[in-house]
Amino acid sequence: MHKAMSHLNLKSLYISDLQSGLKRGDFSASDVVDATFAAIAKDDVSIHAFLETTEGLACQAAKRIDEAIIHDSYDSLGPLAGVPVAFKDNMNLKGTHTTCASKMLKDYVSPYTATCVQRALDAGCIPIGKLNMDEFAFGSSTETSAFGPTFNPWDTSRVPGGSSGGSAAAVASGMVAVSLGSDTGGSIRQPGSFCGVVALKPTYGVVSRYGVVAFGSSLDQVGPFARCVRDAALTLNAISGKDVLDCTSQEVRTDFTAHLAEGVRGMRIGIVPAFMEADGLTEEVKVKVQDAACALEKQGAHLIDIDLPYAKAAMSAYYVLGPCEAFSNLARFDSVRYGYRDPGHKDLESQYEASRAAGFGPESRRRIMLGSYLLSAGVYETYYYPAQQVRTLITQDYTNAFQDVECILAPVSPRTAFKLGEVSDPTSMYLSDMFTISINIAGNGGMSVPVGLGKDTHLPVGVQLISPAFRDETMFRVAAALEQVYGPATVPERHVK
Amino acid sequence: MNTLQEVFQTWEAVIGLEIHAELTTLTTKMFCGCKLEYGAPPNTHTCPVCLGLPGALPVPNKAAIQSIVLAGLSTNCDIEKHSMFYRKNYMYPDMAKNFQTTQGPIAFCMRGHLDLDVDGPASRERWDLDGLKIGETGPAGSSAQNVIRTDLGYITHVGITRIHMEEDAGKMIHIGGGEGRIAGATSSLVDYNRAGTPLIELVTEPDLRTPEEARLFMQKLRQIYLALDISDCSMEKGSLRCDGNVSLRPRGSKQLGTKTELKNMNSFKNLHDGLAYEICRQAEVLDAGGTILQETRHWDPRQKRTIVMRVKETLDDYRLFPEPDLAPYDLSDDFIASVSAMLPELPDEKAKRFVSDFSLSPYAARQLLESRFAADFFEECMARAKDMSATFAMPIANLIINDLAGYLRLHEDTSLSDTPFTPERALELVGMILDESISTKQAKDLISAVMEEDKDPRVIASERNMEQLSDTSVIASVVDTVLAENPDKVQQYKNGKLGLIGFFVGQCMKYTSGQGNPRLINELLESKLSSL
Repeated sequence: MHKAMSHLNLKSLYISDLQSGLKRGDFSASDVVDATFAAIAKDDVSIHAFLETTEGLACQAAKRIDEAIIHDSYDSLGPLAGVPVAFKDNMNLKGTHTTCASKMLKDYVSPYTATCVQRALDAGCIPIGKLNMDEFAFGSSTETSAFGPTFNPWDTSRVPGGSSGGSAAAVASGMVAVSLGSDTGGSIRQPGSFCGVVALKPTYGVVSRYGVVAFGSSLDQVGPFARCVRDAALTLNAISGKDVLDCTSQEVRTDFTAHLAEGVRGMRIGIVPAFMEADGLTEEVKVKVQDAACALEKQGAHLIDIDLPYAKAAMSAYYVLGPCEAFSNLARFDSVRYGYRDPGHKDLESQYEASRAAGFGPESRRRIMLGSYLLSAGVYETYYYPAQQVRTLITQDYTNAFQDVECILAPVSPRTAFKLGEVSDPTSMYLSDMFTISINIAGNGGMSVPVGLGKDTHLPVGVQLISPAFRDETMFRVAAALEQVYGPATVPERHVK
Repeated sequence: MNTLQEVFQTWEAVIGLEIHAELTTLTTKMFCGCKLEYGAPPNTHTCPVCLGLPGALPVPNKAAIQSIVLAGLSTNCDIEKHSMFYRKNYMYPDMAKNFQTTQGPIAFCMRGHLDLDVDGPASRERWDLDGLKIGETGPAGSSAQNVIRTDLGYITHVGITRIHMEEDAGKMIHIGGGEGRIAGATSSLVDYNRAGTPLIELVTEPDLRTPEEARLFMQKLRQIYLALDISDCSMEKGSLRCDGNVSLRPRGSKQLGTKTELKNMNSFKNLHDGLAYEICRQAEVLDAGGTILQETRHWDPRQKRTIVMRVKETLDDYRLFPEPDLAPYDLSDDFIASVSAMLPELPDEKAKRFVSDFSLSPYAARQLLESRFAADFFEECMARAKDMSATFAMPIANLIINDLAGYLRLHEDTSLSDTPFTPERALELVGMILDESISTKQAKDLISAVMEEDKDPRVIASERNMEQLSDTSVIASVVDTVLAENPDKVQQYKNGKLGLIGFFVGQCMKYTSGQGNPRLINELLESKLSSL
């Protein structure tokens, strides 16, 4: 028997601490489960990161781990053995609700499991629950969730960012060590920055999208949130690689932890002057990015100015391509086979209309209508086709830039977390993603790394590292160097105990 | 309403076809691993992908791509090396994702053609061939520019715009409405077993001019698909479906009239009759000074008319855009070459060979190609007949076309060679017909007996005492008896009512319990009657 661990505090533990504690017998996986759900019971009242918790699945997983430890076969369990992990609620996990934070899917129970979730489970993680998000991932604040917003653990009057706000807040508050989110225009990196955790969108194709409810199929990518760079790398190792069920996924043979200790000496890091001078970039974020640049330079990196001339068109292209794909992807939510059905209709047309009008929130309806318009005859040629051309140009921009540099340093979000309700018009909200969107358009990797609190708002600031396509290990290498300077993510004082 | 022949005195019909074939010979669906099986209990072959569940993604079936390339190569199409799947967005409950995955402007197969050999009475339906000599083509720019006159009719060149790949929808059953239609139904059921079935859709150029040409095109395409073994091509089960677009214009005009789209032509006869009716209907409207509405019409074979399904006021907007879940498809030269190497002997070549090697009539050769099993069976018989093949060819072909066609239609999935009616037994049976030991009517009975009892025809014939009565003296006495018993009929015959010969033959057959040799009976009857 293990000693009673009712006071086990996981909040300052990284994966390596957790796993060595388990191996040494300091505590059991069941203790980890108990401590995790105790923390959720205490903290999530004020954070509201979770839409569902999975005690049953967690206990089963813990039992398997504890048995393996008893039989001395812990090493057979996989790289995430014993790690509490939670999933954005657009990821299918068989037997759990997958609501996408929408009234439309409030009662939808997954009959199958997404590949990224399955791979995390196969790596031995303990599934803790499903996390809040903007409805169908449309948003940058988690305020469009049909089940109420998530609150920023650093200041609960503020948003955690979005759309993967629940994923960021759950890790930032220390409720779980690792979470998975999805990023279509910045939905992992921006909340990562707002909540002060390591958060990355890998290159498109590194992680399978099978079982992740699609928003923009050509833009969506799954990635991890963690409190240190190594934990993010371990998680990506577990979930990445070719999946026969997603023909846009690619073979990945990289160990993302391999280069963490190499440092940045001699590395050429790109800075985009146009980003640093952009309208709307706040002083405190700008200072932090400059500070990070200096830190890298001090460690022996060369800073090189680069130009991404078409990146400024990324926002326009994104708000054509994203809604077009979303319009089509969300057409299946029609009340016929599953999902919200408005009662009492006698014909198909009115049932469709009423169910979709009541089942989708305002932002979802806005994007569906936008996509429907942009794809219609006569309009398609004017918007969709040029947007695809812009996409090609932006991709070439990055290809050209990466001739000269190995990694790019940029802001993630122009500002720190804003207050709930503060940004109310959609266009201002869309500007939250001005530095992240071009990476989804081009398809390469982007990562938010915490570099401490801003001097004015005293809220977390993240800087963005951008890697060439399928060279995601370079972001990890630079991130590890920044972590040497700024330290890993810290849990806000009030959530530590 | 005027007849087709009358209509063609003033009007020319312009017909284009859209032909869907389900790739039924594949084992799995287009974008998932679900089994393809016709008639399975509803919704038993489904998964997250073909049910369009949130998060599911398509993975293309490589075997289906091979099938469409085979179809393209055998219809003279260019194979596009770089093509894409597109999403065709529209909402209907049988389409689980509410978009159909299909292809965009560039399909796997583009710019093909088939040449049709038109003969018989229908070859005279084209007004623009008068004055053309055998081997001649109409002048460039004229309506007959793609036509070559032949001794029996003409050959016409029919352009194929494209063949593209797409997925089929599920099947809906409407309950409570009239004739299973959605209008007035109280509830509807959906079976997604068919959802995601690989379909290839062939679109012709508007190059067809008569219902017979349309029928021949469909027949020829069906024979090609059967030879390729890419579909069971059952029009009855719906694995081969055809929509027709038809419009009229005055003879000699180059402008296209307003077209209607015709659906539900689920047999060759319905295809022909539906188009013929629609042409006559349009002519009647136009002759009366009316205008044709662009509409979709349904052929009702029982009432023998077409009914409006819906009027198209505007073009449907399907919001087509490239499917982001599927990468653009690149076909390598090696792949195309490997598919090309798999091409079997195509129906045209086979028919030519049947005519030249076995002296079959072109008609019989074409009929044999209606079923791959029929053609294979014929070839097996010919291989066994060896140096007697010339004697046996036509009778064996007739036996297959006339007596076995019905059996083959009823048992689509059986090969004749798997039945007790082996090629050896077929040759034995035909031998019995040729040496007049049985009649052709007795032959029909023997075929079913062989199928049921699995014995040689000669054994069954002797067991059942079926052998043909060819003894001249016995037959002569039967003829005498019949004529003596019917003096009034004999008198009528002598007064010119020659059709009565059938009555006398029937009576003789009755006396011989159906075993009398019909040729002998006829001969003896005629000689006795003329000598009376």
